[in-house]
Amino acid sequence: MPLTTFFVAVLLTSVGAGTVGAVLGLGGGILLVPILTMFFGVDLHYAMGASIISVIANSSGAAAAYLRTGLSNVRIGFFLVMATISGALTGALLMNVVPVRWLELILGLALSYSVVATIQQINVELPREVPSDWLAMRFGLEGVYYDRRLGEEVKYRATHVGRGVAAMYGAGVLSGLLGIGSGAFKVLAMDTFMRLPMKVSTATSNFMIGITAAASAGIYFTRGDIHPLIVAPVVIGVLVGAYLGSAVMTRMRNTTVRKVFLPVVIYLALSMVLRGVGIHLL
Amino acid sequence: MRGQSELKGGMRTAGVERVIAQVLLWGGLLGGLLVVLGVILFVGRGGFERPGLEVQRLVRPGRADHPPEVFVSVPEVLRALRARPVDPLAVIALGLVLLLITPVASVAAAIPGFFGEGDRQYAAVAGIVLSMLLISLLLAGGAG
Repeated sequence: MPLTTFFVAVLLTSVGAGTVGAVLGLGGGILLVPILTMFFGVDLHYAMGASIISVIANSSGAAAAYLRTGLSNVRIGFFLVMATISGALTGALLMNVVPVRWLELILGLALSYSVVATIQQINVELPREVPSDWLAMRFGLEGVYYDRRLGEEVKYRATHVGRGVAAMYGAGVLSGLLGIGSGAFKVLAMDTFMRLPMKVSTATSNFMIGITAAASAGIYFTRGDIHPLIVAPVVIGVLVGAYLGSAVMTRMRNTTVRKVFLPVVIYLALSMVLRGVGIHLL
Repeated sequence: MRGQSELKGGMRTAGVERVIAQVLLWGGLLGGLLVVLGVILFVGRGGFERPGLEVQRLVRPGRADHPPEVFVSVPEVLRALRARPVDPLAVIALGLVLLLITPVASVAAAIPGFFGEGDRQYAAVAGIVLSMLLISLLLAGGAG
């Protein structure tokens, strides 16, 4: 493929991945890695290097909009990032010790449960009164944002923080072991377990993924997985996409965001269960 | 207790959120602009006229053997920037390094941000996150 064609095609693809990533609080790697490897024939290592940079670009690009509108909750983000990075460090230490297939199977089953939980609350715009949680009280895991779509101020408070932390730690272990992004798990933990509004969940995940990606980005860089000519169109495209996506998302309904999110979780659950039984979709 | 925690999660976060947003915004913007500048320089040098891009890794992952256009350390990027004429790919790489450190910088900036709001608890949380980040970067074994 001529370089010009490659560059323009990857750039346009990345605008799309960045937009979806910003709306859903994912890095966009879940979309970019398969596209780069399958359609552009890019080596998996280079594709993953591009993906980790795209996560950071996405997070930075969407942050301004999400932090200004109060959708990203930095306290909830920092609190949960502690669990995710501890998990990632554990995962890196457990490498070659734990049978990865068992973990993939467990994760796949947990995700399948999340699919059911997500479908059950597919039409819930905002969580109703949630049970009080001492960790949420102790660490002030609550907030308020102005919902442009609903035209009202939305107050929320986290619940079942223990389960959320456990899920974040587990997601961190997996991302440390398997090198997969954990944006989807972060959103699920906040939406399903901690009962935060969906838009707060994806926006806060968007803030967190940049930090967790930075933790592992160094290793990709020193390993030589970051190819400037492959990453350049990705970064430019994702930054533009993140800007578009964050502008669109603040005006979306919580239920719409969740409906767009559902197919991603189904795909993840399916691919993890299949990996667990030895079949790799990618 | 309830009143205090409501204050915490509410409007008082505007200060620290603005600091974090500014760091992420400018880090992302500056990194992105350097990448664009590098691409423009690359095109100006006729870089796009070459037949195609080698998108398959011909060598195994590792420091020793990597293609000339891939940088694996900050000193390597800086050396290529000092060369004349400047290597356009080094300009792109500099933008990428800036992007990589942007989230770390935002966490560092959050510590005085939380202190400024009198929230020592979260200043400590941000401090823990920053130390964990630095540990994982050290484990990565590079100045990345």
